[in-house]
Amino acid sequence: MSALDKLPAGHGDRALLAGVVCLLVGALFAFTPMRAQLPSFLYVFVEVGILFVVYGLLVLGLDLQYGHAGLVNFGHVVFFAVGGYATAMLSAQDSFSGIALGYPWPIGLAVGVLAAAVLGLGLSATSIRLRGDFLAIVTLATAEIFHSVFVNFQGIFGGNVGILGVPRPIAALVADGDTRLVATLFVLGGVTLVTLAAVTRLTEAPYGRVLRAIRADELVTRSLGKSTITYKTQAFVYGAALAGLAGGLFALYNGAVAPGFFTIQVTVTIWIGMLLGGAANHRAVLAGLAIIMGLRLVSRFALDVTPVSGDVFASIRLIVVGMILVAVIRYRPAGIWGNAQELGVDR
Amino acid sequence: MSLLSTDGLVKEFGGLRAVDDLSVSVEEGEIVGVMGPNGAGKSTFFNCVSGVIKPDAGTVTLDGADVTGDAPESLAHRGLVRTFQDTRELETMTVRDNVRLAAPDQPGERTLPALLRSGAMQDHEATVRERADELIETFELDHLADEYSSNLSGGQRKLLELARALMLDPEVLMLDEPFAGVNPTLTREIADRIRDLNEKGMTVVVIEHEIETLSELVDRLVVLQQGGLLVEGDPEDVLSDERVIEAYLGGADE
Repeated sequence: MSALDKLPAGHGDRALLAGVVCLLVGALFAFTPMRAQLPSFLYVFVEVGILFVVYGLLVLGLDLQYGHAGLVNFGHVVFFAVGGYATAMLSAQDSFSGIALGYPWPIGLAVGVLAAAVLGLGLSATSIRLRGDFLAIVTLATAEIFHSVFVNFQGIFGGNVGILGVPRPIAALVADGDTRLVATLFVLGGVTLVTLAAVTRLTEAPYGRVLRAIRADELVTRSLGKSTITYKTQAFVYGAALAGLAGGLFALYNGAVAPGFFTIQVTVTIWIGMLLGGAANHRAVLAGLAIIMGLRLVSRFALDVTPVSGDVFASIRLIVVGMILVAVIRYRPAGIWGNAQELGVDR
Repeated sequence: MSLLSTDGLVKEFGGLRAVDDLSVSVEEGEIVGVMGPNGAGKSTFFNCVSGVIKPDAGTVTLDGADVTGDAPESLAHRGLVRTFQDTRELETMTVRDNVRLAAPDQPGERTLPALLRSGAMQDHEATVRERADELIETFELDHLADEYSSNLSGGQRKLLELARALMLDPEVLMLDEPFAGVNPTLTREIADRIRDLNEKGMTVVVIEHEIETLSELVDRLVVLQQGGLLVEGDPEDVLSDERVIEAYLGGADE
């Protein structure tokens, strides 16, 4: 029997293994004198890659909410922001503006996750019973309200400047810039892979069956003895907590948070990524997100070789993204890897 | 003491009294048919009893406990399971998953056992699969087990809905028009299944327009009109009752 036979078979367990390996490699870079060197053209890839794995946590949470339980959350960025701000405010030292409490960063991160989960719980308590489109409005409004709170309560949240002086645990361990980027990518990528493993396990289990049943027909699911409110609340809170984790990790990587990082653009990007890849399929939503963020990367290079100005180019990029969405909805309504029958878009 | 009973049940929609002071009781082990012209309040009566809507007044008693206005999920736990008139399949799920979903007390439906893939969950799931496959086979849906239920015909959907309800092993089974849109052969088949279940001790309440099949199947008929009880009793007596004939054919004085 070879070692290969002992490798876990399911997608979920493979992701878990890959995630643990990534975390170990990241730790290797962080704690040993091992150094990485990046060719300069790779910088941008690694940077976008780091953002991708952070957004990956967001899209996995959203897929649990929308893809499985059918909850339309148009304000996912608010949980990302709350996680980021809570982590930043708790752990930052000597911020130029806003509150900086200077606690150790693990406490900050834990509170970040908790704060996002509590907000998710509060929103669920008031709104989870609402029909899909109304929940969409509530979540969208919540995100906008919080955005404007973050901008306007300058004494607390630092206004447009945000919170600075957030500790950067990986940067503190690794002085060298290249190694730091690579280590960050491995550590955050590992977290995302472990999360992928967790949500895959959750949705492959009978738990996921109940979530998908709720998406299909809530009344029938209740008539079969399932307390659907509990499940919807759980899915919503888990998604929120994951977004809070993403926000906290982002703050600790970035060393600062500001309203500009948490605009509706984030929600739009992850929604497009999810729909493009195919909702209800965890790996597909990550792939869809990779496509949409890869497009951004490609367009960065394309900007250098096209004769148009930056503004015009930005508009062209939006048009291209829009056309891709139109094409997907027209020809693959369930997304590239989505199952049309499972999503009920089969015609 | 009857297993399921309503007392003075009232439900209004706007100015319309859909159910008006309705008191009906079902004994343990009985098959009771509920009939009545369109708009007589049959489905509203079902919805009130099964917790889908809350009655405005009156009580529903199940096995001695007051369950008025209880949620459908808690009634399901108490052993009362219903089907729907417009077959509500979980269309985006396979036949197998439709039936498996209904299994009660699966520990894998809680977060932690699901994440840890606990032994209890896997053992339970193995039993669930076996039982679900048995039911699917009993209802002759095995060749469709991996199909999405949106691909099923009307009759097959009725069968699936019945199989799914049985997964819960209910004490009281409430069927809302189980024969609607089903061909005569399948109608007989479904009726036979219901009779079998009843012989094994299950209490069944059936709403149906197909009077012939219904009167053959049930021990007792309850006829509703304008939200109230018109006549109840032995099927033969009820069907020959002047008031019932009038309700269906329309009286001369109207």
